[in-house]
Order: sequence, then C-alpha cells, then structure tokens
Amino acid sequence: MSLEIKNVSLLLGDGDQQVKALDEVSATVAPGQLIAVAGPSGAGKSSLLAVCGGLRQPTSGSVAVDGVVISSMSAAELTRVRREKIGFVFQLSNLVPALTSVDQLLLLVHLQGRRPNRADREHARALLDEVGMAHRADRRPSQLSGGERQRVGIARALMTEPKIMLVDEPTSMLDHNRGHAIVELLAARCSEHDVATLMVTHDRGMLDAASRVFNISDGRLSEAEPVTGR
Amino acid sequence: MFIALRDLRFAWGRFLLMTVVVCLVAFLTTLLSGLASGLIKNNISGLIELDFTHLAFEYNNNNKPSYRNSMIERDMWEGWSEMDGVRDVEPMGHSMFSARLLDDSSLDDVVLWGVEPGGFLEPEVETGSGLGEIENGVIVSHLLIKRAKDMGKELGIGDSFKLDRALTEFTVVGIVHELNIGHVPIVYVPLRKWQEATYGPPGGAPPGEKLPDILFDFATLAALQLDPALDKASLDEMDIELGTLTVNRVDAYVASTGYREEIMTVQMIQGFLIIISAVVIGAFFTVWTIQRTQEIGLVKALGASNFYLMRDALSQVIILMLTGAFVGVVIALQLGRVFIESGFPFAMEINAAISSAILLIVAGLAGSALSVRLITRVDPIIALGAQK
Repeated sequence: MSLEIKNVSLLLGDGDQQVKALDEVSATVAPGQLIAVAGPSGAGKSSLLAVCGGLRQPTSGSVAVDGVVISSMSAAELTRVRREKIGFVFQLSNLVPALTSVDQLLLLVHLQGRRPNRADREHARALLDEVGMAHRADRRPSQLSGGERQRVGIARALMTEPKIMLVDEPTSMLDHNRGHAIVELLAARCSEHDVATLMVTHDRGMLDAASRVFNISDGRLSEAEPVTGR
Repeated sequence: MFIALRDLRFAWGRFLLMTVVVCLVAFLTTLLSGLASGLIKNNISGLIELDFTHLAFEYNNNNKPSYRNSMIERDMWEGWSEMDGVRDVEPMGHSMFSARLLDDSSLDDVVLWGVEPGGFLEPEVETGSGLGEIENGVIVSHLLIKRAKDMGKELGIGDSFKLDRALTEFTVVGIVHELNIGHVPIVYVPLRKWQEATYGPPGGAPPGEKLPDILFDFATLAALQLDPALDKASLDEMDIELGTLTVNRVDAYVASTGYREEIMTVQMIQGFLIIISAVVIGAFFTVWTIQRTQEIGLVKALGASNFYLMRDALSQVIILMLTGAFVGVVIALQLGRVFIESGFPFAMEINAAISSAILLIVAGLAGSALSVRLITRVDPIIALGAQK
C-alpha cells in the first residue's frame, strides 16, 4: 500500500481547550486509487491531510508512506519525504506568485538540489499538456483563472512522480461544472500515474469520480455507501 | 536562487526602489569619505610632503605635541643627530604670520616654515627654483597664489610680499602645489631667515649691526629620520635625556589644528550612514518576508528546507546590495573626478570606497538577519486550508 494510516489520533490545543481532531483513524490507499473524504468544516479533514503529509505528527498511531513509517521522523526527514514522495494539491491559488506555470513545476526539481535540465523542462511541459495547460505554460498565477490555477497545481503535484498525492478542497472556489472537471482530471491523472490519492472535500457533489468515499465527522472516519453512477 | 531571481523580476518595482536607497547610501558614504580625505589631506598636505619618520617637539607636561608652543635649542637637535639609529636630523621652524602685499593690502595668514636650503625638508618646486639662491627668496604654497588671484592681485615668481611683525620683504622664487598645515598655506624660507623673522627685531638687523648669534640656536622642532629598528623604549630614553617629545607621523598629523576633529566628524557620519542602511534594509526585508509568509509556508510544504529558503533570501539581499553599492560608488567617484577638476579638495580613494561598500553590504546582511529568522519560524501547515 502506498499510504497506510493506522489508529491515528491527533490532539490539538491543551487543557480545557484540547480537541480531538482525529480519533483512531485507519485507512489505506492503493496506487492508482482516489479516496475521497467528505465532511463539514471542522470535522478533521485538514488534520487528516496534515498528518498524512508529515506537516503534523499524530499523538498516537502510525502513518506509512510507500512502506516507510513517517510518524516518528524528525522535521528535516519529513521535509525530505514531502519533497520526494508526496504531491500536494492545495486550495485555490496556492502557487508561488512570481513563477510562471512551468517554473512552478521546475521549482520542485530545484528543491531536490538539481538545476532543471532539458528533460525536466520537457517533462514539465508534458504534464502541463496533460492537464490542458500547455498554452498557459509561461503565465504567472495572477494571469490565470481559478480553474487554470488548480490544473497547474495538479501538474505540479505530479512533477516529482510522487507515491501519494494529497488533495485539499480542490473545488472550493470553483463552480459546479469546473469543479467536476477538476475532480475528473484528478481521478484520471491518479490512475494514469499510479499514484495513491487522498482528497478531502466538503462538497458532496464531487464524490462520484472517487474509488472509495469516506465520511469524516468529529475526527472519526467511516466508509460511506458506494456512490451509484451519476 | 530559483525563487529569488524570479522574485526580483516579478516585484522589480519594489526591489528597484530599495536598490536606489542602497545606491544613495553608498553614494553618500563614498562622496563623504572622498570629501573628508580631501579635507584632511588639505589640512596636513605640508606634513604629508615632508620626508621624516618622527618629529621631536619640546617636552611639555601634558604630553601633547604643539607646533605653536614648541621651542627647541641647538643642543637638542645636535643631541639627536649624535644618537645611534638616527639617520638624519634637521631643525625646523614653524610660526604664523599675516602676509601683506607690497601695496599693504592684507593677503592671508601664512605659516612660515624654516628649513635648511637643500635639506630633506625643502619641498620640490612645481615652478621656479629652490631656496638659498636669493637672499630673501621663499617658496610658497599654491594656495597663497590662489588667494592673491581671488583678491584680483598678481603674485608669482619674482613678486614680493611682506610679513607683519617681521616686516621683512620676501620674494617668491618657487611655487609648490597646495601645501598647507591646519588649512593655512605654507611659506618656506631658509631656517636662518625664519629665525631672524621669528626671534629678531622687526625689519631685521639695524643698519651696520649684526643680530646676536643666540637667535640662531633656536627652532620649533627637529625632523628626524630614524632607523625603523629603533624601539620605543630607546626613543623614550633619548626624549628624557634631551628634553624632547618625539612622535611618529600619525601623531604629528594629529597635532595639527583641527585634524582629530575632522576625522572624528567624518567617521561619525559614515558610521551613522552604515547603521541607517542596516536598519532600512532590515526593515524592507522584514516586511517583504512577512508579506511572503504564505508563499514560504507553501514552498516549505512542497519540501523546501529552512536552509534552502534562507540561502534564497540572502542571495536576494546580496544581489540588491551589490548592485546598489556598485552603482552608488561609481556615481560618487565620477562626481569626485568633477570635483577634483574644479579644484575642490576631494581625494579619490578607490580602496576606501571599496571597503566602505563592503561594510555597507555587511551591514545590509546584518539588518536582514531578522527576516531570515522569520523564515525559519513559518509553519508549512499554513499551506493547507483556506486562510489566503
């Protein structure tokens, strides 16, 4: 399994203010699978992504990415895991303002300590082409629409050929049709690149492309009824 | 520098503004240090020209050498010349007079320096000839010629002027470039003439009489050429034995009126400029970093280490400071050249300009240390969620 979460709990705050953001959560995501987690805001969706992405360490339980337990790693090791094994798709517009679309992708190569070469450039343009953004490769985020930015974000997440992809509310700022197109693109890319994908969303209209759907509420995860067609 | 360079291009307006500020500070620092060294050199150019290693003044109990109050006797300078490790000694006279032209119009204050004709203290003339050929011949600083010209009067080789008190008429035989002490132009006369003018009666010896010999046993100080191997202890010993106060070149400069104050003023202004630029650069990069917090969190979430982001940010500071400092220094030196051509006291000192530019860059880096610290504090978790 590419992503394995076992009995993960996360406590936030202290004393009276302490909240159980995640409560004994377990799940696995296989390569090529798109798992959707739906729930209202405050249910623990962001906490789940933070724990899977090595941005927060769980209070108890373990998280393994590509067979390696990351829930006991140091901050520096987690940084390296994020760089090499995890692709993030953030909420709208979380691109670096100064970079063009193709540079958003090449930045990840640079973060790995390499100067982007011709193969990297071709790879980046091919990925932008996959998400339908080849014609916007040299635009900066301020020159792109919300949906276009999200497409660039997906291409960026795939740039390092990660083992898992974590997707945070990809449709929150898009209208229904555009949102749908993005989720379908995600599902297609994830099976094509064989990457285990965990997507959280509060938008229940976006779940039909997912392989499996979970509900999250008060930090507890439960599998939802299979979605039957559209 | 992947992001740093693209940031520079993306937010070029902001960075240009900051570069201009750095450029102005560098410009001011360079121009000021040029003007300052010009001013300082103008003060002591006469001393700079002299070929001595030490000056021996009369001993005084506050241990501060004074050109104005010192008076040494023949056995002091002769005593020095007999010491081991002393290569050469010459007595020298220093006194202030007012110069008047022959039509009795007041010319300027001058410092009369008495030196041995043909000795190592006599300056190389720019035009004319040296001392000793004509009885009352003198070499004058170009500054005095300029003063006369400013008054609409002619003073050149062969022209004469008077000194008040002494009333002796001196004839210009040679002109040197601007050699001054305490910003006052120097007039070089043979030591004997200086002794007559300073210690003798006004107008020189009465007709048919001779001045007493004792007049010629006094001078202001002795210029020494010492062996570099001579140590401080044996110098002190000689000083005690002869009743002199011997100082090296730097202290000889410091003894000139106003020299210490001029240096202190200029150093203070430069220091403040450096501090100001550190604060301005620091403030700019702090605000810039705070503005970029979201972006820094995002890049950290994507797997950037603190080191990567700090290096990126510092390279931005260095590019900005280098560009600004370079342009500022170049403009200041160009302007300095114009100053020099128009006769303004400006000293072009490339090394001083470079070292103050380096100091400026270091100050900028120190100022941006806070912003670099801020980078390490950003939590990558801010990349998640909706807080944009």
